Amino acid sequence: MTLDTVIPARVLVTKIGLDGHDRGSRIVAAYLRDAGMEVIYTDPWQKLEAVVALALQEDVDVIGISSLATDHLLVPKLMKALDEAGLGHIRVIVGGIVPAEEEADLLKAGVSRVFHPGSGREEIVEAVAKLAVDAADDRTDD
Amino acid sequence: MKQATPEMPALARRLINGETAALARAISVVERDTPQAIEILRAIRPHLGQAIVVGFTGPPGAGKSTLVNAYVAELRRRGKTVGIVAVDPSSPITGGAVLGDRIRMAEHTLDEGVFIRSLASRGALGGLSASAAQVADLMDAADRDVVILETVGTGQSEVEMATIADVRVVIAAPGLGDDVQAIKAGILEIADVLVVNKADQPLASQTRRQLNAMLGLRATAEHPVPVLSTDAINRVGVADLADAVTVVADRRDRQTDRSALAGRTRHLLAQAVSKAAEAHVMNSRSEKVEDILHAVQDARLGLTDAAKQILGGILGYNANEQ
Amino acid sequence: MNKIDAKVHSGGSDRETAARDWKSGYQAQVREGKTVRNRSGLEIQPLYWPDEEVDATYDAKLGFPGSGPMTRGIYPSMHRGRTWTQRQLIGLGRPEDFNGRIKKILKSGASALSIIPCNSVYRGVDANEVEPELLGTCGTVINTVQDMDISLADIPIGDISIGLNDPNPFTMLAQLLIVAEQRGVPWSKITGTSNQSDYISHFVANHMFYRLSLTGARRVQLDAIEWLAENVPNWNPLSVVGQHMQQAGATPAQAMGLTLSSAIQYAEDCMARGLEPNKFLERFTFFFDISISFFEEVAKFRAGRRIWARLVEERFGVSNLRAKRFKFHAQTSGVDLTRQQPLNNISRVAVQAMAGILGGLQSLHTDGYDEVFTTPTEGPAKVAIATQNILKHEAGLCDVIDPLGGSYYVETLTDQMEAEILRVIAEIDEQGGMFKAVENGFVQKAIGESALGFQEAVDTGEQIVVGVNAYQEEEEETVLPAIDRPDPDWMQGQIDRLAAYKANRDQGGVTTALSDMRTAARSESENTFAAIVVATRAGATQGEIIAVLRDELGFGRPLVVA
Ligand code: B12
Ligand SMILES: Nc1nc2c(ncn2[C@@H]2O[C@H](COP(=O)(O)OP(=O)(O)OP(=O)(O)O)[C@@H](O)[C@H]2O)c(=O)[nH]1
Ligand SMILES: [Mg+2]
Repeated sequence: MTLDTVIPARVLVTKIGLDGHDRGSRIVAAYLRDAGMEVIYTDPWQKLEAVVALALQEDVDVIGISSLATDHLLVPKLMKALDEAGLGHIRVIVGGIVPAEEEADLLKAGVSRVFHPGSGREEIVEAVAKLAVDAADDRTDD
Repeated sequence: MKQATPEMPALARRLINGETAALARAISVVERDTPQAIEILRAIRPHLGQAIVVGFTGPPGAGKSTLVNAYVAELRRRGKTVGIVAVDPSSPITGGAVLGDRIRMAEHTLDEGVFIRSLASRGALGGLSASAAQVADLMDAADRDVVILETVGTGQSEVEMATIADVRVVIAAPGLGDDVQAIKAGILEIADVLVVNKADQPLASQTRRQLNAMLGLRATAEHPVPVLSTDAINRVGVADLADAVTVVADRRDRQTDRSALAGRTRHLLAQAVSKAAEAHVMNSRSEKVEDILHAVQDARLGLTDAAKQILGGILGYNANEQ
Repeated sequence: MNKIDAKVHSGGSDRETAARDWKSGYQAQVREGKTVRNRSGLEIQPLYWPDEEVDATYDAKLGFPGSGPMTRGIYPSMHRGRTWTQRQLIGLGRPEDFNGRIKKILKSGASALSIIPCNSVYRGVDANEVEPELLGTCGTVINTVQDMDISLADIPIGDISIGLNDPNPFTMLAQLLIVAEQRGVPWSKITGTSNQSDYISHFVANHMFYRLSLTGARRVQLDAIEWLAENVPNWNPLSVVGQHMQQAGATPAQAMGLTLSSAIQYAEDCMARGLEPNKFLERFTFFFDISISFFEEVAKFRAGRRIWARLVEERFGVSNLRAKRFKFHAQTSGVDLTRQQPLNNISRVAVQAMAGILGGLQSLHTDGYDEVFTTPTEGPAKVAIATQNILKHEAGLCDVIDPLGGSYYVETLTDQMEAEILRVIAEIDEQGGMFKAVENGFVQKAIGESALGFQEAVDTGEQIVVGVNAYQEEEEETVLPAIDRPDPDWMQGQIDRLAAYKANRDQGGVTTALSDMRTAARSESENTFAAIVVATRAGATQGEIIAVLRDELGFGRPLVVA
């Protein structure tokens, strides 16, 4: 099925590992809210299992990981955990400080897109909206 | 033990069998209000009624989420499984929302016995979202012993919550400005249990006195409303709260005719009727509706009378009888 | 009303006429009189000229550096006497990696050292308790006295000022003191600062850094201040930090106001413990961000200095001149630096650093041009230090004290920033002080709004950022060195070293010390920091110490508002 236009996309904006930078994640949450999406926002330091549990319970379309202090290095593990939990349809994006070499690794692990500092409102909103539709299209259970 | 009947929609069957992913998914389906939603809701109906639904309401920032968090820890200690529906407001302009209630409940994220779902109010008034009652049904069917509803926190008359919940907990807190005023008339009426949270703060006992005085004014109530104090952060008074909720729930159970499941169902029915009526008026171009419309436009007919005529037309029912 | 009118009132009538003439000439040239505002929201006029008032109030508002209102500087000689301390933040990998790097940096002109621990240390856990991928990526893994000793091998710790980025409960400081003991360096010779002692600012803006609850951190901080005053008299136990808040989005005026409110809170807490403000305030230091909004930053520092000198006298009855001195370290703002066209960051850092120097700082960190990619790598870090050296020796910035003093613009702006800062302080007073205002989320909310406001200005192009929303280039040259993550084998070695350290210590002694520390935390009267030093000496790791304290004094949870 496709996302109904009336039903807002649901996005989990969260932080994993040890990082506490939240200026960017708060801004991104506000961007998505202003674009009419429903954002589940969490504290930093989420365990990978917690991200999986959150994504499952909240039935989100997109997970946005904000990572400024090298915590993106854990994202490949997260991708695996999501897959194992049957949440492979969820699109995962990462924003923050990700060096080019490692961006390639993330994409290879299944991350849909990496956003760098300087990304603007429009760019982020458009991409997330599209990924939410893709995720809904890929659902297998209804 | 519940038995899922074979002709059920797969999602409903999986949900009744306790699959978390199915509950999560079914909530989305119900939120989307698709034909599949109607089927699921019908299929689970025989499995409803075992859960206690507890509503938490009160002004913004009173500590509802924090107290729910502490209350859930207490319930878990008592061996109960829990479902939480946490409603936050949608922006009236964009429809978007940042759903932050569960931030305060993070300690339960990895507990399989606790399922939390954040909902946006999506324009519904009354502190809940349009589908909250249905979501409560789903959690009930999914075998959650206690279903908790956290409202948006208007602090105003939250009639919706009143009809859906078995037990209504109203939370006040000191230091929210003119806080007792924030507990507007109307909300006190629905309270089964009143809580003054943030008992650690200096003005708490004063707030408690004020509430007791306000309750004293309507001392006629059949069952006195307990006024409790909690410190949700340090988990003081939470066991008393859990006990008070149980007392009310047991009492309700004994009055089967007013059982909350019936209340919840009645609420859903009313909601469905008004939706059907709205659709009829908006989309039908039947002569009868057009006539009534013109009569209203020409000031020949008042709105209420017009509504009654239309309902009579749709349902073949005489609304005047009521 | 025309904004310029406000200014056309001073001076004799000749000047008034001339001013009016100028104004009409100006307006003829500038058709659309667009209002210009700085980041603190203050309106900026196109021209400033002498105000009778300036002269009349010189002594009261400006005076001479080193005394009086302190606006022009906290020491009589300022940079002409002694230039600022060059303090580069570094930290990486294992203790020996840090040691190698710090020796090089000291050789290239840095005059003090600063230790940045690994993120896992900030979170208060030992190396064996985190995902190994995250070890040593942003700072050095230091869990034990042994790690501290290796980090400081061959460094004369009694002769150099040491900045410890060591949040509450200050386990690194305890390790440093035990290293000193082992090397026979008396504690009285240990100088430096607990750079990350401002737990309030952490709860506002720096979530990685709090280990204990807000109230627990308050307790340990006061214990440490009290204990250090007795035992390590030349250590600065408190650095009140505005940097985190400004980096999180606070405007410069907001950041200064909130920082002063924190300092007020700390001073009041110390006084409630019966400490003497004339004494403990001598050891208060501050740490600020320097954005690229040049004049605004200069004015921010001048105004902050003036307010503090007056405030401590008015609120705390301080008469001791040394206790009125607003000593501060500053760091160029990383938020202004861009991923796009990264070499441009060198120019930005130079401008920021100048603002701080002309604003009268005592100590400075300059960011590397690779700020938006990684913690500073060697090449960019060198340029950052060279930038300081160029400003210090080539640009003549140190020749005159407060060289911007007397600029019509800067004086006016200083007054305006002062008013704005005082407004913020009053707002926090109304909340019942900084502790309360953070506990209830008021400050976090205000800063979040400012951050959104700034982002909005960038998104709409109102605030131009070269390379980001203007002057973009399609293909950018790669000028950055590749990023080296710590070698997993080396990190495994570090984990093994920790295990060996634990295996070789007197376990009974550790258990006793930890349990004594627990007792100290439970009792109201014992000093927790004294117990931390004892436990460290006995061989407890930082993770073990913090685990016990979290248990007793509360786990630090974010007080974030979404
Ligand atoms: C501000 C800042 C801080 C503030 C944080 C305030 C706060 N509450 O957020 C303070 C001063 C507290 C701080 C502290 C530290 N910092 Co810092 N900090 C920065 C800085 C300068 C800017 C980050 C920022 O907020 N930018 C503005 C926001 C709006 O941009 P952004 O976060 O990048 O977000 C944008 C995009 O990236 C993207 N995006 C981001 N997240 C997401 C998520 C989604 C879903 C999407 C779609 C998009 C998206 O969209 C946003 C809008 O464009 C960066 C360097 C830099 N210029 O990036 C260093 C930096 C991130 N910090 C760093 C470090 C090491 C630390 C410390 C550990 C320092 C220390 N050792 O003492 C501490 C720990 C911080 C913590 N709490 O975790 C390093 C990380 C190194 C690395 N990755 O290898 C950096 C890169 C600086 C450096 N070069 O050393 N820091
Ligand atoms: N001192 C004190 N603070 C509390 C207590 N309970 C909650 N708080 C604080 O009050 C603030 C609001 O708490 P929440 O639980 O988010 O309140 P809420 O009613 O759910 O708020 P909304 O959902 O936004 O309406 C937070 O900062 C809590 O930490 C308490 O018992 N004592
Ligand atoms: Mg809430």
